[in-house]
Amino acid sequence: MSEIYDIGYRHYDGPRLGRGYATRALTLHSLRGVFGLGRPARSKIMPFALFVIMLLPAVVAIATMALAQQRILPYSGFAVIMQAVVAIFLASQSPTVVAPDLRYRVLPLYLSRPVSVGEYVTAKVASMVIALFLLVAVPLTLMYVGELVVDMPGPPATGEYVGSVLMALVLAVLLSVYGLALASFTPRRGLGVASVIVVYLLSSASVPLVFSVLYESGYRSEADWAWLLNPFWLVDSVQSWLFGTPPHAIDGGSYPSGPASALILVVLIGIGLAALALRYRKAAAR
Amino acid sequence: MHILATEGLTKRFPTVTAVDQLTVAVGPGVTGLVGANGAGKSTLIKILLGLLPPTGGAARVLDLDATTQGAEIRRLVGYMPEHECLPPDVSATELVVHLAKMSGLPRTAARERAADVLRHVGLAEERYRPIGGYSTGMKQRVKLAQALVHDPKLIFLDEPTNGLDPRGRDEMLALIRRIGTEFGISVLVTSHLLGELERICDHVIVIDAGRLLRSSAIDEFTQATQTVTVEVEDGLEPLADRLAEAGQTVSQQGRLLVVKVLGPETFDVIRDAAVDLDLCLIRMEQGRHRIEDVFREEVAGV
Repeated sequence: MSEIYDIGYRHYDGPRLGRGYATRALTLHSLRGVFGLGRPARSKIMPFALFVIMLLPAVVAIATMALAQQRILPYSGFAVIMQAVVAIFLASQSPTVVAPDLRYRVLPLYLSRPVSVGEYVTAKVASMVIALFLLVAVPLTLMYVGELVVDMPGPPATGEYVGSVLMALVLAVLLSVYGLALASFTPRRGLGVASVIVVYLLSSASVPLVFSVLYESGYRSEADWAWLLNPFWLVDSVQSWLFGTPPHAIDGGSYPSGPASALILVVLIGIGLAALALRYRKAAAR
Repeated sequence: MHILATEGLTKRFPTVTAVDQLTVAVGPGVTGLVGANGAGKSTLIKILLGLLPPTGGAARVLDLDATTQGAEIRRLVGYMPEHECLPPDVSATELVVHLAKMSGLPRTAARERAADVLRHVGLAEERYRPIGGYSTGMKQRVKLAQALVHDPKLIFLDEPTNGLDPRGRDEMLALIRRIGTEFGISVLVTSHLLGELERICDHVIVIDAGRLLRSSAIDEFTQATQTVTVEVEDGLEPLADRLAEAGQTVSQQGRLLVVKVLGPETFDVIRDAAVDLDLCLIRMEQGRHRIEDVFREEVAGV
């Protein structure tokens, strides 16, 4: 073991590509990490199991379209209906993207290379956005292809499908920024998973709470804003403003929709990015 | 030609001054940077990598300005940190290939270089297993491999022998020597043990509290600090007196005498003195000077 072989050293005089290439390589490397590719088998179980769970409703929807000629699952409501699965994916996989580099102090190996901290964080966010987007958009696309193949009566819901795919991207950005920010503040993997899931549960649980407090205090119309505390309903509200889809709140609830919710969304993404930038400025100085 | 040069380089943190008016120049080959823990070695390396802006002064690495051309420097330089820096759940191959790409090597070149370099540092089949199961020695080799993978012109090795057993230490030092000679890559290697750097360096820089204590070629260094330790059964003091009379520089340290080696004749004088006084000579040992000795001398000299 550990013998040093004498084969002579060869110098490298081939091309040295730029920082854009390095950033793309890091994005791809992190994306592989999210799905456990190139890692031990146990790292693949969680992401692939959740991916399969996301595909099941799409398969059932296609079957119903084929057999009963009925649309049971609207494209625009898919993300909201499946939100628990998406949240679990976010919680379980966000730490794999950012936590090891912080916890095991791999970051200096990156920063001693041409990439900057900004490019590093961009690549990490991009990889998580792509992963979440695939998680939501692949079942949507499967359903749409199914609808075309089944040949439902009436025109296909192409507009709704395209809108829901675009909103899947927006949702992926919002969730990734917060998932990664939370996971980077708690570099221990278990803690990272817990912190992301707790924040999601709090944001969901606070909806009925805030709603009823406002409602009972007489602010009946303002109470609807409580729905937007949950990121999935916030994105859904932006979707219904942009694409005119019906709101998918539970129990037929409705919420405000319009430029205001879009503004809240943009501000939230900004805050999340600022938190990430702050976290990494500190980590880089170590 | 200088590989790196600093001019009045200063780095002040709120509570400490890590680097203080440091002016040094380093030529090609293997250069040792010696200092006690907290002497400013790691801070200096971070400044040279362009990762930490200096408070004052200037630093040039490979003729590039460290404050403004950091990214250019980091393209041509390799860095092996002092601390643990390896993720446990990926294999050495996967990590080194990935970091080669991060240095700008295209996919196939990254693969080839990673395989080459891992073989050079002495990692065989185990390079396909997750790093979490590696010994300290193997981890140090992976850290060295990632610093070499993009064929840098210069590498910074921060305490590469830390935590290694004597055999691992020897292998690591031999490897560093090979990098400096056969591979033709200039090396700046830090340690708090002057003794081990003497064996592999062409040039040694000693710093303390961020200030330059000494910068000289290794020959000057060892000549200036060579000592021999003498142990006799009884009659340490008569021997000390006799040697002092013979013009040797002698100091008593407990039951031992430390004699400064002025030349080969010093050994003869010790032998003759022991014979004349009819002493039982237990041992004569070439002094292993540690960083502390240099400090003592420098302080005495100042």
